[in-house]
Amino acid sequence: MKISYKHLIKGIHSKPSIEEVSDKLFQLGHEHEIDKEIFDMEFTPNRGDCLSLNGLLRDLAVFYDVTLFDDIYEGSIKDFNFNFTNNACDDCPTISFLKIELEDLEVKRYKDELKDYFSDLEVSKNNFFTDISNYISYETGQPTHCYDASKIKDDLCLNNVSGNYAFETLFEKKINLNGKNLVFSSADEIINLAGVIGGKKTSCSKETTEVIIECAYFKPESIIGKSIKYDINSDAAHKFERNTDRQCHEMVLRRFIKVVQKHSKVKNIELYSNNYKKFQRKCIPFNTDIINKIIGVKISSEEYKNYLFRLGFNLIDNNIEIPSYRNDLITQNDLAEEIARIIGYDNIPPIELSIKSSNKKDNFNIEHKIKRLLIDNGFNEVINNPFAENGSKNAIKIDNPLDSNKRFLRTSLKESLVENLLYNERRQKDSIKLFELSDIYSNDKSINIKRVIGIIISGRVGKNYIDFSKKLDEKYLKKIISQFVPDNKLTFEDISRSSIDSKLKNKIIFLEIELDKFNRHIQKYNELSTPPKDYKKYIPVSEFPSSSRDLSFSIEDFLQSKNLEDSILNYKHKLLKDCYVFDYYKNDNTNVIKVGYRFIFQSHEKTLTDEEVDNLIDDIIIRCLQISSVSLPGYKN
Amino acid sequence: MPESKDNSAPNLLKEFGTDHPINFTKDSIMNLLMSFGFEAISGPEIESEKFNFDMLNIKEFHPARQMHDTFYVDQKSYVLRTHTSPVQIRGMLERKPPLALISGGKVYRKDDDSTHLPMFHQIEGIYIANDVSFANLKDLIFKIITSLFGKDTQIRFRPSYFPFTEPSAEVDILSNDGKWLEILGCGIVNPIVLENCNIDSKKYSGLAFGLGIERIAMLKYEVNDIRDFYKSNLDFLKQFK
Repeated sequence: MKISYKHLIKGIHSKPSIEEVSDKLFQLGHEHEIDKEIFDMEFTPNRGDCLSLNGLLRDLAVFYDVTLFDDIYEGSIKDFNFNFTNNACDDCPTISFLKIELEDLEVKRYKDELKDYFSDLEVSKNNFFTDISNYISYETGQPTHCYDASKIKDDLCLNNVSGNYAFETLFEKKINLNGKNLVFSSADEIINLAGVIGGKKTSCSKETTEVIIECAYFKPESIIGKSIKYDINSDAAHKFERNTDRQCHEMVLRRFIKVVQKHSKVKNIELYSNNYKKFQRKCIPFNTDIINKIIGVKISSEEYKNYLFRLGFNLIDNNIEIPSYRNDLITQNDLAEEIARIIGYDNIPPIELSIKSSNKKDNFNIEHKIKRLLIDNGFNEVINNPFAENGSKNAIKIDNPLDSNKRFLRTSLKESLVENLLYNERRQKDSIKLFELSDIYSNDKSINIKRVIGIIISGRVGKNYIDFSKKLDEKYLKKIISQFVPDNKLTFEDISRSSIDSKLKNKIIFLEIELDKFNRHIQKYNELSTPPKDYKKYIPVSEFPSSSRDLSFSIEDFLQSKNLEDSILNYKHKLLKDCYVFDYYKNDNTNVIKVGYRFIFQSHEKTLTDEEVDNLIDDIIIRCLQISSVSLPGYKN
Repeated sequence: MPESKDNSAPNLLKEFGTDHPINFTKDSIMNLLMSFGFEAISGPEIESEKFNFDMLNIKEFHPARQMHDTFYVDQKSYVLRTHTSPVQIRGMLERKPPLALISGGKVYRKDDDSTHLPMFHQIEGIYIANDVSFANLKDLIFKIITSLFGKDTQIRFRPSYFPFTEPSAEVDILSNDGKWLEILGCGIVNPIVLENCNIDSKKYSGLAFGLGIERIAMLKYEVNDIRDFYKSNLDFLKQFK
């Protein structure tokens, strides 16, 4: 909600700066951004009372002396003999209708607060009465609805209707009302979706000189969800959903009259009011000890009283009378929050909290051990969302999926892990070892939960010269897992490449195991790796493809082998992403060594050309060939 | 070729894999909280509306319930939990105070854009004992945040609203570029919630807090796009060794 600093400051006597007001609003819990002296407020949903200039002023009154916008028409008003039937008193326990007739419609331009509202907040104008209604809502927080009185030919009725009804809003949006709706009808026709938006048929226009202003209290639950359901942007619904002040109607309507009178000559005013259910003012016992205990402070009863006074609360017979606009205050904890806000959360000194150790064993020990086992063997953990396009017979269906590709909860991790594998293969990864730990769910008369680990492998075993030429297969995985899971609980799946539209040749092996199938030996698994000690700064991944080059060196003096290794591994270049020994052979008779290095280049800015990669590799070759007895068979300078 | 017999052989480097950075962050925070005395508990991701909303004082027509864009499953019989709070409810029902419980895991909201994902991770904690105050809560939150972000971190508490806590607060830290960043939500457990869990609210009070793991991980690793965590890109994952 947008609120102008200029308008707000009119009600604050000391005229604090916008920065100071902003700080106070944050202290009170009212998040906002400021743009050109306009506060763009984001109120929490319990604070419907703040959705107006006066509401915010009431809250700021704990810091400043304020005057609310309450210049009202104080003259007498005739009774309005209006034929209205309320068949939904539970949803609408209080309602008033104010009829205003103008002498004529001679409003040349808006004055004072009405003028400021439209110019400062850049609000679009509609017609005289609707514009005042919008302003009054901004000022008081109470939505009103204006009917052109000449267009209401019959009795008015408030009903809950069920079924399908066509309805055209005052903004000419045609909607089909369905399900249960609270509506105003006249002459058997719906003319207003109560608390949300009025209808076109009875709406005011620039020619309207006789208006009926509806001012009602609607229970939030009668309004909630309707504006979303019918895709209507409604300030009124936003306010009613967050609860409004049942007791403010006469003041609001008298304020309405006052603003009308500033702009036009009023011929006649009539008022219809009905309270179908008596409003019961809430009271909470005055108890300073409880408040101190909840917050952890030691305020005196006098200080507490003073805070309550500034909040506008009355103390009657040791009971705090809660104002009708504060629908959110029910318990001592609610009051404690009020006091804590005034003190300022940041001004409440911390009191040391000491929790006795629970001495409970780490529940995640087994999972931790399984993870370390796989991480020690070069596996990388992934996390996938559980939504799947297809589901087996017992898959759980999502009633309201994000899209049709995500209609089911997965019953296996296979599909997700295959996707992860293909994603990495497309990025030229030739050794892929992934695992995921997750709950999976199915529905067999009741919801079943299984905690499982899914593992997928394909490509080279590793990138060192021992593992480089070996391929990942079932045997490899079995060797890692079988000592911790009985063989009869292991079901390896050799995933056919053709089934996943992949042309690569490497086998894909998938394994899924329920965690409770692991035997007790896993708890004694001797970890090789340790989780990182801290958080490393992430370097964004390049979206451009990498290029690799292999160099096979011959070293006649085997003592130079380490010099070559040092020279290569110490070579740094921003485009050299990785470098490792993929092949090594020593002829024991001649002591000649053959060693193969793979270099991987990648740029963050572009796809590297062959020429750029060749130039880089030439630099490396020249550097290496300077080491005595090192040669590169087949290399011509 | 046996490495030990050939001194000229290149180092045979063993390449370890990686913990997922989100799980690493989650486990680190869980371990930190367990070191404070909290007990880790877990619960189902498919929950009843009773545990996900009603027991937490999120009433059927309350705007807060509308705020949670909820996935419903099995013909609206269940929801995918929108927060880890229902685990706390189960924990409170199964135990007697004093109790200090934490739960971490996946939660779901019907959201999918560049800053929101339909699945993300939370850790929530609850401490119920005699005379637990907002000032105690502040002490705990200071300890958590300074452990995570350093002892000189500037912290701001703002009043907020959660139906299950009263008073409620959101906590911000001051970033290096001078902006306040929201880090967690917390508050004094609403007595209604205690009573829902058969805990005498006149005798006991409690504090509760909840952190979004992705938010913390993004700040700690300096990852700007939340979606990067879930692409399963090996070039991304291998950076977090």
